[in-house]
This record gives sequence, C-alpha cells and structure tokens, in this order.
Amino acid sequence: MKFSRGIGVVAAAVLSMASAAAPAAEPVNLGWVGPLSAPGNYSSGQEMRWAVELGVDEINKAGGVLGRPLKIFYEDTKGQPSEGSAAAVRLITKNKVSAIFGEFHSSVALAEIDVAHQYGVPWVGTDVWSDDITAKQYPEVFRLAPANSLIYVKIADWIAEQGFKHVATVAENTDFGQGGAKVVQDTLKKKGVADTPATIDLNQQDFTPSLIRLMSQKPKPDLLQMIVAGQAQYQIVKQACQLGFAPNADTKMIGSSGLLQKDVWEVDGECANHLLIVNVARPKSQWNDKAKGFVKAFQQRYNRPPTGVAMEAYDTLGVVVAGIEQAKSSDPKAVIKGLENVHYTGVNATYSFSTDKTPAWAYHQFMDVPFTVIQYTQMNQAPEDAAIVYPKEWATTDKILPVK
Amino acid sequence: MANGYTQRPSASAILQVILLVVALAVPLFGGAYWIHVGAILWYYAILASSWTLLAGFAGQFSFAHLMFAALGGYASALIVLHMGTAYFPLAIFIGLVLAIVVGALIGFMVLRLSGPYLALFTLAISEVFRMILIAEEQVTRGSLGLQVPRFFKGDSDVPYYYLGLALLIGSMLLMGFLLHTRVGLFLRAIREDEGATQASGVNTTHYKILVFVVTSGIAAIAGIYYAHFIGILTPNMMILPEMGIVIAMAVIGGIESLPGAVVGAAIVYLLSELLRDYGELRFVLLGLALVLVQRFARNGLLPLIDRIGRRPAAVSSRLSAPGGTSEKPHGN
Amino acid sequence: MSYFSLLTVNGLVIGLIYALTAAGLTLIFSVLRVVNFGHGAFYMVGGYVSYYAIRSLGLPPVGGVVVAMAALFLFGVLFEILVMRPVYTDEVERKDEYAIIVTFGMTILLSNLAIVVFGPFSKSPPPFMAGTLILGPIILPYDRLIAALVAIALLCATTWFLARTTLGQALDAVSQNRESAAVIGINPRRMYTIAFGLGSALAGGAGALIAPIFALSPSMGDLPVVQAFIIIVIGGMGSVGGSIAGGILLGLAQSWGVGYLPDPNRALAYTQAFGAVLLIVTLLFRPTGLFGRVHLRLE
Repeated sequence: MKFSRGIGVVAAAVLSMASAAAPAAEPVNLGWVGPLSAPGNYSSGQEMRWAVELGVDEINKAGGVLGRPLKIFYEDTKGQPSEGSAAAVRLITKNKVSAIFGEFHSSVALAEIDVAHQYGVPWVGTDVWSDDITAKQYPEVFRLAPANSLIYVKIADWIAEQGFKHVATVAENTDFGQGGAKVVQDTLKKKGVADTPATIDLNQQDFTPSLIRLMSQKPKPDLLQMIVAGQAQYQIVKQACQLGFAPNADTKMIGSSGLLQKDVWEVDGECANHLLIVNVARPKSQWNDKAKGFVKAFQQRYNRPPTGVAMEAYDTLGVVVAGIEQAKSSDPKAVIKGLENVHYTGVNATYSFSTDKTPAWAYHQFMDVPFTVIQYTQMNQAPEDAAIVYPKEWATTDKILPVK
Repeated sequence: MANGYTQRPSASAILQVILLVVALAVPLFGGAYWIHVGAILWYYAILASSWTLLAGFAGQFSFAHLMFAALGGYASALIVLHMGTAYFPLAIFIGLVLAIVVGALIGFMVLRLSGPYLALFTLAISEVFRMILIAEEQVTRGSLGLQVPRFFKGDSDVPYYYLGLALLIGSMLLMGFLLHTRVGLFLRAIREDEGATQASGVNTTHYKILVFVVTSGIAAIAGIYYAHFIGILTPNMMILPEMGIVIAMAVIGGIESLPGAVVGAAIVYLLSELLRDYGELRFVLLGLALVLVQRFARNGLLPLIDRIGRRPAAVSSRLSAPGGTSEKPHGN
Repeated sequence: MSYFSLLTVNGLVIGLIYALTAAGLTLIFSVLRVVNFGHGAFYMVGGYVSYYAIRSLGLPPVGGVVVAMAALFLFGVLFEILVMRPVYTDEVERKDEYAIIVTFGMTILLSNLAIVVFGPFSKSPPPFMAGTLILGPIILPYDRLIAALVAIALLCATTWFLARTTLGQALDAVSQNRESAAVIGINPRRMYTIAFGLGSALAGGAGALIAPIFALSPSMGDLPVVQAFIIIVIGGMGSVGGSIAGGILLGLAQSWGVGYLPDPNRALAYTQAFGAVLLIVTLLFRPTGLFGRVHLRLE
C-alpha cells in the first residue's frame, strides 16, 4: 500500500514537473471584429472592445481556456463591409482563429459571415440586428443580439398599444436602420398606425430642415422614433428638442443604444430627459451576481459605466469560450458543434441557440433576448435607474412622461 | 522597362525587375493571407499609377478618380446581377464604356480649370455621385452593400492575384507606351505651361480629354476587378479618405513615375497591414509620412533611389540645373 | 408661410455659421494662393482646445473661443514655417499640388491622432446661452443665434482688418501681387506666416463657436471643410464678403432643398448634394465666384 502510494506521489510529481517544463501551452486564438474608427460607430466599438478585454483578463487569470491562454486579435472594421471581409480573411488565414465574434454594423457582418462560411469558421454576432444575418442560415453563424424582427415587432406592438397614432421614423441607411424600419412599418400598418419614414446618413450633422418638415406634418407626429445606432442620435435629439418637437407632452421620442451612454447628458442636457430607449439588457432588479460584478469591474477599470452593448460584448466572449469548452477543442468545426449545444449563463441572460428554421432568422439565434423600453425620468440618470415602461413583468411604471 | 535615354539600367529599374519577380513568386510561397493582401494591393496599384499619369504627368489634380472605379464596379455588378454571370463580358464592357464617356465629359468640363479649382470641382462631382449611390438604395442597395458575383468559382484567391497583376502590368504597359509617344511629351508640356504649348500649335483640349479618357477607363477596370473579387460594394469605396490613400501612394512612391506609384502603393498598403496592431496610429504615421516625403523628397522615394544609384557627378550637375531636380523625361 | 419662414431663418443662421468656417480658408487662399485641406482638422482641434480650456481652467465659453484662436494661431504659424515654406522658395515645381498634398497629410495625421488622444466618445462644451428664442413662427436656439452673430462680427472684423489696418493692407497687397509688395518693402514671407496663422485661428475659433451646437468628435471637421470649400468657390476665393454670401446661399439651398423636395426621404439623403451642385454650377459658369477677384490665378 505504502509503496504504491509512494509511486503514485512520485508519478504525480514527475508528471507535474514534466508539464511545467514543457513549452507554454499553445494559446487559443479568437478574432474580434468591430468599428474602432470612422466611418464606423467607434464609440460603441470601443465600449465593446473594452468589455472583451476585461473578460479576457478575467479568463486568463482563472487559468485560460482548456488550460491554454486566451489570445484575442482585434480588427477594426470601420463600419465598412470590405474591411469586414478583409479582417475575416486575415483572422482566419493569418491568425488561425478558432472563432470570430463581435461586430456592431449589420452590413459589415453580412460581409464577414460570407468569409466565415467559406472557411467553415464559427462567427458569433454581438450587436448586429439585421434579420438576414441568421436568415441566411449558415451553420457557422450564431447571434446573441436580437434580430430586427424579434425586437421591433414587439416594439411596434407596444407602440400601437400605447395609443400612438402618428409615428415618424428616422432610420439610418444601413441594414439595421432600414431592416428595423421596415419591420416596424409593416407591423404598425397592420395595427392602423401611420408611419412616416425618413432615412439619414450617419455623417450628417444638421437635421433641422428635415425635422421641421416632419413636425409640420398634419397631423403632427405623436412619436418620433430613431432607428439609429450610436451617438449620431444625439444631434437628432438636440435639434428636435430645440425646435420644440420632441420629447415633450405632445410628441414622445424613442431611440436605441447610443442614448444609453453617459455622454448623452453632456451633449443633450435637459433634452435627454424623458427619452425612451430600447435597452437590450436585463433590468437592474434582475441582475445576477455576475452582472453586478461586471458592472463594478468595468466602472473601475474604464471610469465609465457599461451599457447593454458592453454587456452583450462581454457575454459573447463568454459564450464563445463556453462553446470551446463544450467542444473540448479549439478546432473551428468542433467549436461550431460546441456552440450548438451551449448553455451559458452570462451577465445578461442564459444563452442557447435555437435550431428552428422558421422563421428563417431563428436559426442559431438566441431567442430569449432580454430587452426593455426604459425612460429617463431625471437628469444625469443612469440607464439602470431609469423607469421601465415595457415589458409588463418588469415595468416600474405605467405612465410615459411627461403626462399630458 | 528599358527606355533608350540612359545607357545602363537605373537603380530603380533594377528594383522594379526584382519586385516583379517577387510578385510572380508570392503565390508559390506566400500563403493564403499574403495572396489575399497582394490581390487587394493590385487594385490600389492600378489606381495609384493611373492617377499619377493624370495628376503627375498631365497636371490634372483630380479627386474624381475613385468615382470611375465605383462607376465601373457598380455598373458591371448591376448588369451581372440582373442578367446573369454569362453576361460578364458585356458587363465589363459597359462598365468600361460608361466610365470612359463620363471621363471625357469631365475632362471637357474642367478644361478651363486647374490647380485647386480642378481639385474642388472633381471633388464636388465625386461627392454628388457618392450621394446618388447612397440615396438610390432601391438600385444600388446604398450603404447596405451590394453583393456581387465573383469572377472565379472556388475559395482560392490565387486566380484573382494573377488577374490583378496582369491588369496592373497591362495598364502600366499601355500608359508607358502612351508616355513614350508624343502624347507623353505634350501632356508634360501642357502641365508645365499650357499657354505656350497651345501657342506652339498643340491641340491641348484634345490631349487633356484624352488623358481623362485613358485614366478613367483604367480606374474603371480596377473597380470592376475589385467588385468581382471582394464580392461586395459600398459607396464607402469612394470616400475622401480613400482618395487620400491613393494620392499618398502616388506621392510617396513618386508622383512623376508610374512604377514609383506602384512601389508607393506597396509601401503604403503593406505598411498599413503590418501596422494593424497599432490601430489609428497607422494613419497618423501615414499622414506624417505624406507630409515628410513631400517636404524632403518631393518627387517621391523611387526617384530618390535612382539618385542614390547614380554617379555623384551626374547628381550634382542635375541639381544645379534651373527648375530644381526635375529629371529628363525617361519614360518611366 | 410659417413653414417657409422657419426654414429660411434656419437656413440663414446656419449659413452664417458655415461662412465663418470658410473665412479662414479664404484668407489663406488669397494671400498664399494655397487651399488648406487641413482646414477641417484645425477646426476640430480648435473645438477640443476650447472644450479643455473651459473644463480645466473654468473659463466661460467665450474664453474658450479666445484660447482656441490663440492656440491655433500659434499652431498655424508653426506649421507654415516648418512645412509650407517650400511653396514660395522655388524648391517646389508644382506649388498647388505640394500644398494640397501636404495639408491633406496634415488632416489625416490630426484626425487620427485626435481619436487616439481625445477618445471616441462625443463631448460637448456648455452652450453660450441655453434655451430657444421663439418669435411667432420662428424657433431659433440661442446658441445658434449667438454663433451666427459672432460669425458676422468676426467676418466684418476680418474685412475691416484687411481694408483698414496697416498689417491688413500689407496682407492684401501681398495677395494681389507678391513681387510688387516686396518692392515697396513688405516682407512677403512674414505676411504668409501671419496669414496662415490668422486663417488657422479663424478655423479654430469657428470650431470653438460651433462645438456647443454640433458636439465634438474627432471627425467633426470632415463635413464643415467640404462645405467651406463650396462656400469659397461660390463666393469667390479671396473675398471675405463672398464667403458671407456663399455661406448664406449654401445654408438656404440646403434648408429649402430638404424642406421642399417632393420626396422627403430623398431630400434628406441629398442634403450635401445641394451645395455640391452649387459648386459645380459656379465653376462651370462663373469660375471666379460671386465676388472673386478676376485677376486671381484660375489657370
């Protein structure tokens, strides 16, 4: 007995020395794509990258993935589809990544997934909403972010329910903007709500003439909707506010992710109060410990609070890593299988991917995307403290301010 | 690239031959990544060299160069999308013809303009075209991006690499030939002093329009190549910063040297690839390089190499000639 | 009718603001015969300098504008001495191209450096005066009104400076004829440096004035510089009065175009096209612009 135990101990010691003396384990390579410079939405892209960097450090401190260090190659895709293709090719052929993840612009994502499909490398989307991305049903493509149809149908239903009769929709000229606008318009039409579209280019600064035109319509819109990502919304909000158009008692204003960043208070001041925002994140009341920990760490490291976009980015990394661990391998083909079977609890939700083929966009789409419509009720409010007006089970109020 | 003016090959000519051999060999040793990079490089090289002909040799500082690439690319892409890939030759032909016609038109419109006025005019036209591409989404898919059928089936970039290289060599030969004839002589003369040239009986209108026609056609070819290689087109291919990169390539390599532009394209593009990890600093360096090269090596780096390769006596006699360091026309 | 007046007032005001961004450009062009493609970058830097001056030194918004102008003046002078010299020392054969390329390079350098140094998030300095002026059908935010008024003041001051002061007249002389100016004892080189410095200061001041209206970002100068080019061509390069006229024309064209073009969606997408078309038409039919000096080199 003693002898065999002794051998066991010696064997263990020898083995551990051998592995220590062995060359450092080969890293697991992943590729992150997103906009870090113009004409892309670099403020959101930067937030996403920061969230991922935070996650990578945490993972490596805890021993890495499959016992190997995790290494991310960051690619700036600038909001340009050709950059997306080039980045994907680079990541796959030069950096030999096991998976690509990230991205904020749908048009770029569509270019990237073609390359991913060509090479059979998994691609997981963080904040890209165009239905087409998953509707193409490439086996390599997965998405954490909602599809336009997933969210905007519900938003449109809510709009109709709230009694809005004349909506004006300002949408950016991208897959996200146009796709979302179309979903909303179709749904509103069915419910008998009028919707006037206006398409904008993200590089514009002065929307005043167009806003004047919209607000001069008879009857005047009672909801000004922005399907515009990022901080371009700030100018629309400011100018609409200065014109006395929205947000106010007669006309409410609803937008998306860029309005969640704290810079909105600096740029828009009082005008940002009473803004309605589609927030893809769990409400604070539902935060799990992971979420609380993430928010704290992010604030500490980067001196600004994370928004839902940062949480999605952080979770995407978590999901990809979970996929690799599920597959017990970093080989791209295996990781695809791993992702199909993944069941991962992140800061925003517990993720798994559907394999339904109808509707088309449901394939490899995470369907239980948590989102709320929040409303800022006072100056300098953080998104997590804002009032929640939708969905009913999380709502903190049933009024939309200001009440007439 | 023998030129008949100097007795033995210049340092830059030797460099060009070496680079050509390397270029031909890359697909054999390079790996998928470098082949892809090379295939994109040819696109920029064709644009930079044709722009050099337009701006460097003929003095037409045009900001509309990428408009022709986009015009050719979108025209060809739309035709193939609507009529099928069997119509590739027709699509290419129409893209080319369209660009040439527009090029002639623009050449005509800018006849009385030069310097910054020509630059601003071509910039304005280019921007209007870009806005049309964005606004007419029903046709072009605007900022959403137009998915374009590729030339070759299969995943490999090797056929594109060689196609791009062949197009580059072809356009260089065409332009080089042109420069060797009277056309080249007249273009340079027009650039130096149009009034005098006109007084000497040269039909300057004819040649100014000709150079626009030739260079816009070549730019369109580059655009068509790009469209059916990358497989996706957006109006962002012709934003001002992209034009800036083409200008930078021409300037850094040698604004009065066709092979110089190609070398410039290689330097700028490959450096920007190698410096990817440095994010935005890449472009800071590019801007800095542009300023420094113009400030200290006005005619670009390739002629600088030439100068270093020549005998000192020849160099000093050249420097003391009036007009600074302009070199004798030697068809390069 | 009120729709029209609202659009018109908005167009006028924004046009005056555009005119301010063009003023610096036209000054540099008239004296140095150089189109400063780096103008947008100077504008952007001016905005940021003002922002940080207000933030860290606690200055009022006007103070920020002053600091921005001073800083950009110095920067312009430095840039001129270090980089622009070859334009007139006969080292360069093709002066126009040299200037375009070198100022373009400056833009690439500064814009990207700004992303690295200032970060990608939007910032906004406090407004000059919060609130909106409401006069009947007219709705005009105070900070736009103030910027327009300051623009008029600065533009008039510049015109007065060029016409009435010794230094201004010296600059004007050099802009008309370098050699003759030198003959009567004006040092052209010093004038070039001063002109470039002043032009840069005006660009920086414009950036500081407009920052509260449109917010700061590293790419904030991209659009204004194109609009400034359009204005100086329409108004006539080298004419400050022309810049005012050109600016107003551009502002009105955009406002009416977007407000009245039948398809509202398209109208918005083509916002910048109105100005570009104005430029094209001007260059085709009246290349010297509305008030440009005929003798200024066109060929």
